[in-house]
Amino acid sequence: MTPHGKLTRRDLLVGRFRRAVEHARASNVASTESAQTKAVIQGRQCLAYRNLVCTTCYERCPEAGALVIDSGLPRVAADKCTGCAICRDVCPAPVNAVLMVGAKAEGGVR
Amino acid sequence: MELERREFVKLAAMSAAVGAASSMNAGKACAAPVDPPPAPDRPDIPGVQWDKAPCRFCGVGCHVQVGVKDGKVAAIAGDRQADVNKGLLCVKGYHVGMILYGEDRLTTPMVKRNGKLEPATWDEAIDVVARRIMKSGKKFGMYISGQSTVPEGYAAQKLVKGALANNHIEANARLCMASAVTGFLSTYGVDEPASCYDDLDACDTLIMWGNNPAEMHPVLFSRVVDRIARGEKIEIIDIGTRRTRTTDQADHYLEMRPHGDLAIANCLMQQLIENDTYDKAFVEKHCNFRADQDPRETAEALMDHDAYVAHVAKKGHSGLFGKPITFAQFKKLVSYYTPEKTEQLAGVPAEQLRMLAKVFADPKRRIVSMWCMGMNQHTAGTAVNNLVHGVHLLSGHWGRPGDGPQSLTGQPSACGTVREVGTLAHALPGGRLVAKQPHRAFCEKAWKLPAGHMNPKPGYHTVKMFEQLCTPTDAGGDIDTVWVQVTNPGQSLPNTKKLYKAKADLPDKFLIVSEVYPTASTELADVVLPAAMWVEKNGVYGNSERRTQQWFKMVDPPGDARDDCWQTLAVARRLFELGHPGLRGTDGKWLFTIEDENGDEIEYWKWENYYKINVDKHLFDEYRQFTFMKHKNVAPYDVLVKVRGLRWPVVETADGEFRETRWRFVEGDDVYVEKGRGFQFYHSTSKDDRAQVWFRPHHQPAELPDERHDFMLTTGRVLEHWHTGTMTMRIPQLRRAMPGAYVEMNPDDARERGISNGEVVAITTPRGEMRLPVWTNGRATPQRGHLFIPFFDESAQINDLTLDAIDPFSKQPDYKKSAAKVTRISEFAPPRQGGNP
Repeated sequence: MTPHGKLTRRDLLVGRFRRAVEHARASNVASTESAQTKAVIQGRQCLAYRNLVCTTCYERCPEAGALVIDSGLPRVAADKCTGCAICRDVCPAPVNAVLMVGAKAEGGVR
Repeated sequence: MELERREFVKLAAMSAAVGAASSMNAGKACAAPVDPPPAPDRPDIPGVQWDKAPCRFCGVGCHVQVGVKDGKVAAIAGDRQADVNKGLLCVKGYHVGMILYGEDRLTTPMVKRNGKLEPATWDEAIDVVARRIMKSGKKFGMYISGQSTVPEGYAAQKLVKGALANNHIEANARLCMASAVTGFLSTYGVDEPASCYDDLDACDTLIMWGNNPAEMHPVLFSRVVDRIARGEKIEIIDIGTRRTRTTDQADHYLEMRPHGDLAIANCLMQQLIENDTYDKAFVEKHCNFRADQDPRETAEALMDHDAYVAHVAKKGHSGLFGKPITFAQFKKLVSYYTPEKTEQLAGVPAEQLRMLAKVFADPKRRIVSMWCMGMNQHTAGTAVNNLVHGVHLLSGHWGRPGDGPQSLTGQPSACGTVREVGTLAHALPGGRLVAKQPHRAFCEKAWKLPAGHMNPKPGYHTVKMFEQLCTPTDAGGDIDTVWVQVTNPGQSLPNTKKLYKAKADLPDKFLIVSEVYPTASTELADVVLPAAMWVEKNGVYGNSERRTQQWFKMVDPPGDARDDCWQTLAVARRLFELGHPGLRGTDGKWLFTIEDENGDEIEYWKWENYYKINVDKHLFDEYRQFTFMKHKNVAPYDVLVKVRGLRWPVVETADGEFRETRWRFVEGDDVYVEKGRGFQFYHSTSKDDRAQVWFRPHHQPAELPDERHDFMLTTGRVLEHWHTGTMTMRIPQLRRAMPGAYVEMNPDDARERGISNGEVVAITTPRGEMRLPVWTNGRATPQRGHLFIPFFDESAQINDLTLDAIDPFSKQPDYKKSAAKVTRISEFAPPRQGGNP
């Protein structure tokens, strides 16, 4: 804040950053960077969507409830995903089926 | 290199997109009565040449399209023209191209000098091998594989059983399929399934007997999951000792104790007879009854169960084909296995057993039973194979589309190379036996050997061969040299410390290993021969449903690596030059002579000439003449070139076409069945065209948990890795997805012992100790008191700990039942590095 009470662009960004940090701390997340990204399973690349059994992402996800299997298909519970990207690292599909997506649209794809 | 790698990733990505598109189309193709419009078979990538090949991995036998760019495999796509997989592949299949490009490929022949492996030329290495074989004589053994190609198996067979008149040739399929073979032989009189994969598209009920196809035969299982996803009603029943990814898809899970399958199958037959729901017409026309001994030879006309078991224990069994018994005797024997009694023996609730018996009692229902290692790696493997065939025969659920027993193989050519070419110590090509004089005579004539040249005594089966190798010569170890090709016994044999690693202390014993990567087997080798693999060589494979599949060499092997088949033939040539009499045919020529159209010998044993002709075609078409006797007619090589495999018997039609057979012994499909017979088991052991329904009693496993070792340890494969992981652990995606071995434990067992998920524990069996992390919420959950450890990890070779007890008929070891102890060790020793999770 400036002494005049006027919000600069810089302050706005810092403020948002701080809020993100607080939010991350509140939800017990290690880094702010990861707090901004979430895993998304792309069905067209995912082996489970081809009726092949594959549950690697679910098995290796360290966050309880962040990856769930619905009728054999993996799905990310966005509110629980910490963005650690382990699921992306272990995905064995020929084209990686896990996309890390920014929480805000401007965050884009990591 | 980096660029190549990036290119590879990019191309692989494109091929994956094709795979996805085609799998969706496959579903539509089945649902719609008309074929979908033709789609491109493979992605159109500039500079990439495509050709077909069967996948290198499991027994399903999917076809892949292999894309080659600048002399390297650059892309893989599921083959849409293949009936087996209709364009789909599993996670291993999509990455199969990368097996060729691990960083540590073996590229130079190595010969041990002064205790150290040193590089050698091929001429030197072949000479060392040939001289050693000369010196060894009858102490030489050859150990090949269900992953060897048909021509490789045939060449090795002709060299060892023909030229050397030495029957010590075995294949690793002994560890995997031998009980299925003895099961088929003693039931139908001839090996290999009568059914085919089409049954999975037509069945109403699918029963898994100790089988986890969701992980081990994924593309096959996806055919069923695909039908369920389209809304079809298929009942899946899983009988097993642990809940797996297959169980997740099942409607019923019958959790049994080890060897419970013996009691369950007997119980089903007891129920069918007691409720009078067996198929009387089918049994009357097509079945006989068999057992190990015939009680009619004694004073007692009808023996009850316990008296019979005591009788056989006293008298011993009467060979693989047993003795005929009456239906009345059969009924009396199986009457012991009431649902209540079976519940005590197998641990499966009586009401579940009654439910399963009702499934078989319904004549309209189409039922497929599927099994693989759970029933084959079993000290009563032959027996339980007989029993499951028996349930289908007795209930008449046999030989209609979607209705019959389906034995799966684990390896891509366990059927083609081992069971059909007969690369087992007692067998000859085409279902012949070394013990039968007319069969040897046929081979001697075909191979231009003097009459009486071949040895009538079967050689050593796998476990015995390696036991003799690892026994000091002066203590009776009469195998002193083994040549291993296309398999990794150092990690895959049971009780490897006893059966393989003990060789390290025996300097007069000699191991020759043809391999593609350094393995537990090459570690003890005296000669290492670098081999070409998969599409670096021509090949022919035969899958689980009698389908023979051919492919061409597409890329050059790295460095000095050469075909296994060439290695065998080069040694055969060197033996001929060294004057070994067995290599000279009755016409005075080398046994493997190939002549050109002018009658001049082609010097194809010289590597530079090897691919000037198609040696595979010569060997395969020579082998083909052996396949007619047991009606296992394979198609000529040139016909196989044009198709995605054909299922034998392949018969030539009046117009010169070659037609495959989907259901054997079934009128209308199998041309060898006489008109009006319906079904005809034309190789019946009782010579009356009938199949044998066996009585086989329940008995306990060879090793049971006791106070000291209070767990039952099972081993097996995982989805991502192929056997000992020598290929798949070098594929980064697969290695990352499944980086190391672990021990699966029931969460309640872990909790009781205060063991947490991921904690490293010591697993001890009477054979040794190993440290592994516990996985309690993993891919499968064993029942209480059970453990599961996969065998792919070379840094945790669980077969150091497994039992080497074998089935009495098939000589196949039981890897699934070792007594084990779990100890917490975190407080006194540093844990093993790495591993999962």
